[in-house]
This record gives sequence, structure tokens and C-alpha cells, in this order.
Amino acid sequence: MTCPSGGASGSSPVATACAAAPTSSGASAADLAGHAFLRGMPDGYVAVLAGACRVVTVGEGRRFFEEGGTASKLWLIVSGHVALDVDVPGRSGLILETLGKGDLLGLSWLVPPYEWQFGATAVQQTTAFELDAAAVRAACEEDPGLGYQLLRRVMSEASSRLQAARIRMLDLYAVSGEARDGS
Amino acid sequence: MTAPALPARYRVAARQDETRDTVTLGLQPVDAPIPAHRPGQFTMLYAPGIGEVPVSISGTGPGAELVQTIRAVGAVTRALCAASQGQLIGVRGPYGTHWDVDGAAGEDLLIVAGGIGLAPLREALLAALGDGDRRRRVVLLIGARSPEELVFARELAEWRRGGAEVEVTVDQAAAGWTGHVGVVTQLLGRADIDPARTTALICGPEVMMRVTARDLLALGVPAARIRVSLERNMRCGVAECGHCQLGPLLLCRDGPVISYAVAAPLLAIKEL
Repeated sequence: MTCPSGGASGSSPVATACAAAPTSSGASAADLAGHAFLRGMPDGYVAVLAGACRVVTVGEGRRFFEEGGTASKLWLIVSGHVALDVDVPGRSGLILETLGKGDLLGLSWLVPPYEWQFGATAVQQTTAFELDAAAVRAACEEDPGLGYQLLRRVMSEASSRLQAARIRMLDLYAVSGEARDGS
Repeated sequence: MTAPALPARYRVAARQDETRDTVTLGLQPVDAPIPAHRPGQFTMLYAPGIGEVPVSISGTGPGAELVQTIRAVGAVTRALCAASQGQLIGVRGPYGTHWDVDGAAGEDLLIVAGGIGLAPLREALLAALGDGDRRRRVVLLIGARSPEELVFARELAEWRRGGAEVEVTVDQAAAGWTGHVGVVTQLLGRADIDPARTTALICGPEVMMRVTARDLLALGVPAARIRVSLERNMRCGVAECGHCQLGPLLLCRDGPVISYAVAAPLLAIKEL
């Protein structure tokens, strides 16, 4: 199921384009500090992020964002399961990768031109901390200490995904030329 | 009991197509059966007139037959995969070390399988589910190339009903797939394992086992409680021919299942 309006606007696709579907509530710094992505971050920085954050629950099949849309949000997944997808002519809805509990959803919010490179769908009902990207970027500009703490974590996540993508490129489960005649 | 060096005659009693190139055979002894096996061991299967290959044991069937899963990757395995019900094949074994599921009693058991690597782990999983009150959690993480290339797919629901936490990830998937997409290591962080009380059993392509073990070490699971199943060119099965040598080990005897504490330094040597 797709968001009725496509969710490709610059505003939050969860909060506006799918306004009827998700539920949201405020997020406390204590709740946010418990997320795996922020583990070890100083309390003061977590409190700053909590000021730009709310908790959203997105129903199964709803879109978080669309390829080409403005990357105005990021999400820290608390529960559920999200698929990153891409439209290829003749092969609609190819799934590139899935994300789950403890993962960061959204990398494009940190890198100009702040535009989603892929789409994202909740494969099952997903609850996440949703952060306003502009507010987070502004807070990082204001306090490079926060920027460094956040960038380290984004880099770690991006590095893990890059390594995973490289391993998948090896096509490990194919029969190799060196495979012996057995199982 | 020492496994005999000559193959015993077995008849194909059942066959199940797993994927386009992988078949599971149920094998009934025609004469005396081979000695009892432990989860993780392998046999040498002989396709008459063609040759012999090592194949891991996937379990014991309802009629006490051997259950073995074979992927067609060459002349012998193609012949075995093509075997029809009633056909005779030769079986030697069982050979090698086992997963020692009993040795992990009281702990969480984490099983990580890649591709057909699930075949030698299947019986370890069934053994763990069979003594459920002796351990806290049984977690099975499976990686496959695509949903169509997942072996034992028909059994996943039953394993979940039996108490296993099963997650599947694939390298490639089209719209409609509701499982995970990515490498199997990406499931580790979401599995909420307790590193101090987890024993991990890993089988799959060697690169997959290395990165899985590396990530488990990073999570705090000691190398001594990570077991991997290694493959080399097993020929004799009785540590005589030397084809399966890995450093100081002959894997048909000292493996295939070994501790990662032993495996890690050997796998770091490119020449091995």
C-alpha cells in the first residue's frame, strides 16, 4: 500500500502525506538514550536531540519516504521492519536492504542536496524515533561536539552497510569455480 | 565405533526438491546401517560408476533413514541429485566432529546458516528444540541468495512453533518479500543475544563464517564458544590421504566442526 499522496514532498511523509495512518507522541531524552544508535552519547547531547524528536508508529505497508523526496527527517527504529526499495523499469519495487530494531533509517538528510536516494516502506508496523533533520543539522553546526558524536555513529552505520553491500556483491551463495563436488 | 571403509548399500526411500539445484534424499540401509551419527558429521556418498563425495548429514527421517541434502555442483552431485526412489547408492561414515549441542546445554544457542550451510545445522537445531527446557533461547539466522534458493523453507513454520526464533535474510528480493534483505550478519545486532551465555554454531561460505565470527567477537561472544564447520577437499574420510589438510588439521577427522579459536589463525593464512 502506498501513501495516498506519494509522500514525496519536502515535509514529513509520515506526519503529513500519511497523516491518517501513523500515530505519534513526544520522546523523552531517557527513551532516546536507550536506543542502540545513541548508546554512549553524553546526556546533554541526547537532550538536545530529544527536543527535535517524537515517537511515531507507522502501519504495515505505509511509506516513510519516496525516492527523490526531500530528506527532512531521520528515524531511529525501535521495533518493526522497514524495506529500502528502488523502482527499476520492468522490475517494480526491488528491495535493496531491510532495516530493523536499533538501525538508523535515512542517511541522505546529512548530505546535500538532502534528497532521498531510495524509497522506504514499513514491511510491518514500525515504531521509531523521528527526528527533524534541519533541527539536528542546526544543532550540530552550533555544537561541533554533538556533530562529532552524531557523525561517528552515522559513519559507523554507513560503514556497516557498505561492508554488507560489498559482501553481497561477492554473491557468496553462488557455485564458485573452486566448489568441490559435494555439499 | 569406527566407521567402515567400504560403502554400505542404501536405497533412496524419499526425495524432496529443495531448490532448482538442491535435493534432500532419505536413505534406507539395504543391509546393516552405518554407525549412529551426531549432528554436524558427514558421510561419503557414492554414486555408482561416477564417484564419491562428502555430504553433511541433515538428520534422521521418520523411518530412521539418513537424511542428506545435496547441491548439484559437479558430476557426482548431479548424479546423486538425480537419484530416483528405489535407486541404490553407497554410504560410508559417519565421519568427523560434531556440533556438541549437549555441551551448550543451559545456554542460548545461536545458529547462523548461509545457503546450503543450513543442511549440517538442521539436525543440531532439531536436537536443541528437542531438549527445550535445557536452554534459554534457540535463535536461527539464515542467509540465502534469494527466497527461491532457501533450503528447508517448508520447515521454518514448524521450527518456529517448536520454539526457535527464526529470521531469514536474502541477498536479492522482489516486491512482496516480507523477510529481511541483507547479509546474515546484519541480523546479529537485532537478535538481542546475551554474549556471556551464547554458544554460536556457524556454517556457510567461508567468508560468511569469518565475518559472522568477527561480528560475534565484537559483540563479546568468546571465540571458544563459536563453532564453525569448515570444508576442504575430503576424499578418504579417515585422515589418511591428506587432501583435506588445513595447517595441522585433517578436517575429515579433526573437523568439519571446530572451535573458532582454532580456526581463526588458520583462516588468516592465505596459502591454506
